[in-house]
Amino acid sequence: MNKITVHCTVNHKPVSVEIEPNKRLLDMLRVNLGLTSVKEGCSEGECGACTVIYNGEPVTSCCILAGQAEGADIITLEGVSVDGKPDVVQQAFIESGAIQCGFCIPGMILTAEALLMKNPHPTMEQIKEAMSGNLCRCTGYKKIEEAVALAASRM
Amino acid sequence: MKRRGTGVGCMFYGIGNTGLPNPAAAFVEVLPDTSVNVIVGAADIGQGSSTMAAAVAAETLGLAIENIHVTWADTQVAPEGGATSASRQTFITGNAVKNACTQAMGELRRTAAEKLEVPEEDLVFRNREIYSSKDETKRMTYPELMGAMSYRGRLAVGAGYYNPKTTYLNPADMSGVPYEVYSYATCILEVEVDTDTGEVTLLKCVSAHDVGTPINPKMVEGQIEGGTAMGTGFVISEKIDVDPKTLAIKNPTLSKYIIGTNMDMPEIYPIAVSSEGEAGPFGAKGLGEPALIPSIPATMAAIGNALGVTFTKTPIFPADIVKAWKDKQAAENQG
Amino acid sequence: MSKYAVLNTEFPKVDALERALGTAKYAADYFMPNMLYSGVFRSTVPHAYVKKLNLDKARALPGVAAVLDYTAIPGKNRFGIIVKDEPCLVDDKIRRYGDALAVVAAETQELVDEALELIEVEYEELTPVKSFEEAMAPGAPIVHGQTNVHAKKHLEFGNVDEAWDKCDVIVENTYSTHILSHMFIEPDAGLAYLDEQGVMNVIASTQNPHYDRNEVAAMLGIPMNRVRVKQATTGGGFGGKLDIGVQLHVALLAWHTRRPVKMVRSRTESTMVSSKRHPITMKCRTGATRDGKLVAVDVVMTCDAGAYGSYGPAVIGRAPVHIVGPYECPNVRCDAVFAYTNNPMCGAFRGFGVPQAAVCHEGQMNALAKALNMDPIELRLRNAHKVGTVIPTGQTLTESVGFTDTLLKAREKALEVMPEAMARLKTE
Repeated sequence: MNKITVHCTVNHKPVSVEIEPNKRLLDMLRVNLGLTSVKEGCSEGECGACTVIYNGEPVTSCCILAGQAEGADIITLEGVSVDGKPDVVQQAFIESGAIQCGFCIPGMILTAEALLMKNPHPTMEQIKEAMSGNLCRCTGYKKIEEAVALAASRM
Repeated sequence: MKRRGTGVGCMFYGIGNTGLPNPAAAFVEVLPDTSVNVIVGAADIGQGSSTMAAAVAAETLGLAIENIHVTWADTQVAPEGGATSASRQTFITGNAVKNACTQAMGELRRTAAEKLEVPEEDLVFRNREIYSSKDETKRMTYPELMGAMSYRGRLAVGAGYYNPKTTYLNPADMSGVPYEVYSYATCILEVEVDTDTGEVTLLKCVSAHDVGTPINPKMVEGQIEGGTAMGTGFVISEKIDVDPKTLAIKNPTLSKYIIGTNMDMPEIYPIAVSSEGEAGPFGAKGLGEPALIPSIPATMAAIGNALGVTFTKTPIFPADIVKAWKDKQAAENQG
Repeated sequence: MSKYAVLNTEFPKVDALERALGTAKYAADYFMPNMLYSGVFRSTVPHAYVKKLNLDKARALPGVAAVLDYTAIPGKNRFGIIVKDEPCLVDDKIRRYGDALAVVAAETQELVDEALELIEVEYEELTPVKSFEEAMAPGAPIVHGQTNVHAKKHLEFGNVDEAWDKCDVIVENTYSTHILSHMFIEPDAGLAYLDEQGVMNVIASTQNPHYDRNEVAAMLGIPMNRVRVKQATTGGGFGGKLDIGVQLHVALLAWHTRRPVKMVRSRTESTMVSSKRHPITMKCRTGATRDGKLVAVDVVMTCDAGAYGSYGPAVIGRAPVHIVGPYECPNVRCDAVFAYTNNPMCGAFRGFGVPQAAVCHEGQMNALAKALNMDPIELRLRNAHKVGTVIPTGQTLTESVGFTDTLLKAREKALEVMPEAMARLKTE
């Protein structure tokens, strides 16, 4: 199959990736760029584990073809931490006991980051609404929402 | 019409395998700088057995949790852990870690007793210090103790395992001791039911769990909250459909098998209840499965309470609710 | 001073940081040089003999490193945590939709998928067994061995038959629960390779690494210490990652190709072939005195356990012991039968039959409360386990029995946060 070249910004750095045109953004990030924090849970945009911040919005990278990402600005969890240290949202997730198995957590944290970029002081209702596209099977969500509220309180 | 209902659900749960041996083991070494390696077989699937192992080691050794590094579930390094199942790892691997630490402390006690000139049995290890319970002025720090250990060429190493005190059950009548210890729980849950659409809204939920001794309060709460999410979903949203011809699962995806989102959760009040006992490590018991169970009958009862009918089958989906309500109305009109 | 220096204080989980940073490595996150991808060819019928399995076209596809059926297994081909009744690759007959017939390893995932499409199979179909009732019917097709009875238990405590005369009220109901899926968010995955010492290494998403090690060793016919199973960071399990999953298949492929082999199940495949919750029917008769003390419980429990044993024996062992719930009762009987069918395999799922038992015992307690016009919490308090209680196996509880406290504390909190709901408890 003829490859295409995708130019975009990933974690604040410009990249160009040669990739088969049938590959998803999820594959490009995980396989071509080695950004394995992006998780594949359902492959149909239901669970939110593969969420990345895409031009400022949280989107499921399993539902976007790599080629569509031409010119896009993409942030994964690797681009959130600072010198390998947790940022305020990541730290809040740790302190709140929001992390059990952790497989949904990259998507959860990025969804929260996207919310807080736009709205640094959300109400609990706004937090719930923003986080409602991400599934978690372990926590019952309460501590995840508390973590987002804690992060917001520190912004 | 929207109707509210309340339900109670209780349970008990025997920790570990039923009437069968199910041991688990741990290795421990306290290093010269007071950091500790704890190695357990137990698989941590997110529930927190590794954190539990670190906490039990820190408590037993008198060190801080930051001093402990846990390696887990690597069969070439870690001894048998048994399955992460039956809510058994806190109880069984926890006891194994405690036993391994106790063995490692043999040399630590001997050395501290020599240095402080007090009987070994009077020594208390707590918060990175070692002191005599009879005379707290006789004390030393952990680094001092490890220095004394190095000087004497002694190592603080331990291996321990634990197998619950049970018996095989008599095949004739199942008599015997199936489990050494049991966890208990009570859940009270309130729902609102729309009798026209059959939609159930989970309102509030109190779930109290006897965990013996809580190891980590947030982890206890997290288990109860997550268990409640799964238990309520058991009743109102989750179901595997099997194709009657091929016997294949028809809904193997997350778009067709519905697990609750954060918007579906009740306002939940988890409660950790302590109980006195010596069986678990510092009295701790398992919670993983107990966290799930009581919310299932509580949800069933709450929906039934809202409608004034009794449900005996799961799941209870909107169509079941609408039908139950119509049947009830019809029966009342006839009566 | 608090009794404990560490326990019951606030501290983060020891593995939270790497999960928050996204650096924790789950099984699918491992990539190795020279690594092959792999997949499984599965049956699309529930009960059949394999007349022909043609692997030649798949083997001929360039970039395919191995296509293996059961004849490639050097050691044992029967697995299972309790009963060894499940094959790594089918050698006698297919017992469920999705049984593994062959495995493929190739240079890319696309080539794996292409090779799987090239495998041809011819079935000689057998009548499938679709329910507990069908399994028990005379002349039913047999799923395993000589009988479709997978397991049976009989619990007897006190004298149930003589106890009914002492009851002021008797309630009878039949409860049934359905099949559920764990839906752990991480689908099963694993990777196997032979290391420089010739040890078979398997990195997998698992709840059961030592068991996995023993099964891989048996399948390859090598000593247990020649297999190393390392649990990758695991994205939930809830019992669904207790059975051996991809581990046998990647180990077999790595054994033959001498290259690292990775397998990641799709969500669909993961849900199709991992175990499910046992659906249990419980016919229950419960008697009590007019002041609400339980006198007798009699239960008949039946279950369609699906195509393989998995943790069925653990479920049928646990459910009868828990069938009365956390309540004292001097006369108890429970008869349980689990049957093999060609339905999806049921196995361990958070609770091992106790959630199902709780549907029954709590349903009965609520029915009794209604029959006696008694507060349901009060009824439970009157019968609650305490130190000194003798449970239906004859065991005396000696310590750590906090049930009454859970009832009292839950009620106290509920009266505080949902007083109206608590008032509704008593009105039906």
